[in-house]
Amino acid sequence: MMMHSLNKHARMLTAGAALSLLLMAGAPAFAETPADTLVEGWAIDDIITMDPGEAFELSTAEVTANTYSYLVRLDLNDTSKVVGDLAESWTVSDDGLTYTFKLKPGLKFASGNPVTAEDVAYSFERVVKLDKSPAFILTQFGLTGDNVTEKAKAADETTFVFTVDKAYAPSFVLNCLTATVGSVVDKKVVLEHVKAVTPSEEYKYDNDFGNEWLKTGYAGSGAFTMREWRANEVVVMERNDNYYGEKAPLARVIYRHMKESSGQRLALEAGDIDVARNLEPGDFDAVAKNGDLKTTSAPKGTLYYFSLNQKNQNLAKPEVAEAFKYLVDYDAIGSTLIKGIGEIHQTFLPKGVLGELDENPYKLDVAKAKELLAKAGLADGFSVTMDVRNTQPITGIAESIQQTLAQANIKMEIIPGDGKQTLTKYRARTHDIYIGQWGQDYFDPNSNAETFTVNPDNSDEGKVKTLAWRNAWDVPKEWTEQSKAALLEKDAAKRAEMYKDLQKKVLANSPFVIIFQQTEVAGYRGNLKGFKLGPSFDTNYVFNVSKE
Amino acid sequence: MSEISQPAPMSRREWLMSDRPQSRLQARLGRAYMTWRRFSANRLAVAGLGIILLLILVAVFADALAPHSPVVGNLAGARLLPPGSEGYLLGTDDQGRDILSRLLHGSRLTLLVIVLVAIIAAPIGLLVGAVSGYAGGWVDAVLMRITDIFFAFPKLVLALAFVAAMGPGIQNAIIAIAITSWPPYARIARAETLTVRNSDYIAAVRLMGASPFRIVLRHVMPMCVSSLIVRVTLDMAGIILTAAGLGFLGLGAQPPLPEWGAMIAAGRRFILDQWWVATMPGIAILVVSLGFNLLGDGLRDALDPRESGK
Repeated sequence: MMMHSLNKHARMLTAGAALSLLLMAGAPAFAETPADTLVEGWAIDDIITMDPGEAFELSTAEVTANTYSYLVRLDLNDTSKVVGDLAESWTVSDDGLTYTFKLKPGLKFASGNPVTAEDVAYSFERVVKLDKSPAFILTQFGLTGDNVTEKAKAADETTFVFTVDKAYAPSFVLNCLTATVGSVVDKKVVLEHVKAVTPSEEYKYDNDFGNEWLKTGYAGSGAFTMREWRANEVVVMERNDNYYGEKAPLARVIYRHMKESSGQRLALEAGDIDVARNLEPGDFDAVAKNGDLKTTSAPKGTLYYFSLNQKNQNLAKPEVAEAFKYLVDYDAIGSTLIKGIGEIHQTFLPKGVLGELDENPYKLDVAKAKELLAKAGLADGFSVTMDVRNTQPITGIAESIQQTLAQANIKMEIIPGDGKQTLTKYRARTHDIYIGQWGQDYFDPNSNAETFTVNPDNSDEGKVKTLAWRNAWDVPKEWTEQSKAALLEKDAAKRAEMYKDLQKKVLANSPFVIIFQQTEVAGYRGNLKGFKLGPSFDTNYVFNVSKE
Repeated sequence: MSEISQPAPMSRREWLMSDRPQSRLQARLGRAYMTWRRFSANRLAVAGLGIILLLILVAVFADALAPHSPVVGNLAGARLLPPGSEGYLLGTDDQGRDILSRLLHGSRLTLLVIVLVAIIAAPIGLLVGAVSGYAGGWVDAVLMRITDIFFAFPKLVLALAFVAAMGPGIQNAIIAIAITSWPPYARIARAETLTVRNSDYIAAVRLMGASPFRIVLRHVMPMCVSSLIVRVTLDMAGIILTAAGLGFLGLGAQPPLPEWGAMIAAGRRFILDQWWVATMPGIAILVVSLGFNLLGDGLRDALDPRESGK
């Protein structure tokens, strides 16, 4: 009897405990972020390294842009221009080969060391000598490991001289210097952390220029310092009190790794994060309707397109390529799948870049496409495959295209894979159709013009692996020449005209079907002030953000 | 006037229930009838059978039943409509396709997976188990160690590895599931074989000069079949879930095929605002899995040899 009642008691106790646990778990967590800290929820799984001389990933670029200074920066009010960052002024010699930058006086790194032209020269030297993925942005000006100390050197404490090999359009040279690879590192700090390396055939230098340390370390002079990066977890930035410009209002910015849109939305609604960066259309709408939250968006230089491998006999016919352009339901995709996160855009230069061309002549027109296919002798259609990365909105668009192609008797099979698989196949030129995105490497029309219209060697051994090469497209010689000539055109207006003309040609006759330009969106708490997305992935600045 | 007692004409039921069958046919039918009676006494099992029959009917008449095309949607006009919208009973998905039509057509894929896996895996398991059990010695050791190797990996992980190696697609998913699901059948068949291999009737057959091949095929395997059927039926739910799991991970059926697991994966993105996109195929998987489980349970009771004849 005693035993029995005890049991009963114990049972009630356990039940009570379990119930209270349930209640605790169910109660909404009112976790407010600290008043001096900005917490962003963002997918940062692409970060491999924090070294500005090596990093070539979207997420890293944003962190670098907030923590390092360059010579010049993109002018956010007019993205076809640049403004001085470390540089107070600059001059271009009459022959167009020598650029002389005068640094602002009294600049300091976060470490307290003064910023000198010597640091700038060292930053250029290490990028060129390390020769990592983004190095081409500088080496395309004729820099090599042997001549970099001559061509990019400090004339005195505050004067940096940069010599290029051809008389390029100055806008092109300056635009390239706004890329994150142009970040200026603290030479003294980096030299303290260099690691000795045994020189080899591929790498001729006896030290790593601090590359290993900078993977997770920081030696910059931006508005924020990068305190910590833990892969797939968090990036922490802190205010740089030695910053020469206006000090950031917030003491700390934290990027929390969150992959899923719905998870970010829930955290944003609960106040666990201040900004959600990867919202999909549905969640974005819900955030926009919420009175406590605000949204913002900005067009980015990233294009979504699909391309037809010219090695495939059917796809190589020009009529077929044109038919494909009529077989995309642009309107429906624009109003549903990419609503709010993209805008229909069919030319290869994104909005905001010098020479942009806002022409979208193609519409879904099955009859016209059928006519073109009949002309190509393929009235009965054919079968083809498309390599699709397993992410939205790409998968959704691929499925929509699959349906519209079927209306013209083209049977398209979707081959899904992760980004690595599809890209590897694409780069090996073994795909039929590839759908994906293309983000410009630096904020200049040449970045896209080159990749869409230059293909000097169309053999499998070709060294210049542009998108045109990947699709085995033998670009007409005049187009390639026009693209290269535009690079040397000093008059910006004339240069813009040349690119417009080139875009019209590519639009009418190429294996590229460009569908839309990405709009980056973010949802944020109503108490944030000054939160804005920039025109490119490396201009999402957080040093103006404050909290009420 | 001698009274010749005529046996009273037997009812069909009595004929079936007779404990002195006059022919083999009568004996077999009698046994089947007993099994059916035991099975039908179990209400839940009959419900399970009903679900499975319904699934088969739906799969056969999907074309006639589906109000819309399962692959072509109305992206601009009917995207993510809630259940009960006009013309779309269960709502539409993110491509503007009718979910009901996709579910109906998806039943074909589900059935295809189940049938093919059962056809491939069960005979392999039966053969391996029976040979292993009857032969014994090193044959037994080798075959059972191979089985052990397959047992050492979780089924889904092994299936994932196979599909990843062979490339995604419904055929490869079926092969992968079949390859990973035969080992339990081999174990069961071996256990059953061990219990009968030394029995008198096998000895008699052997004395009559039957080859080991014939003994295994004609006299051992039939004894294993009933327990195998039960096991396969109970496994069906697991097979459906594995197939759905592969589809969910993007390794099973590929778009635009209306595979239920892939449909859930596609609907996951909308779970907060458009719950029905993921829920409807989830319910379908639940119901069919439940049906197979109930059926398997009933079959186990009905086919149990110890129960027979009671």
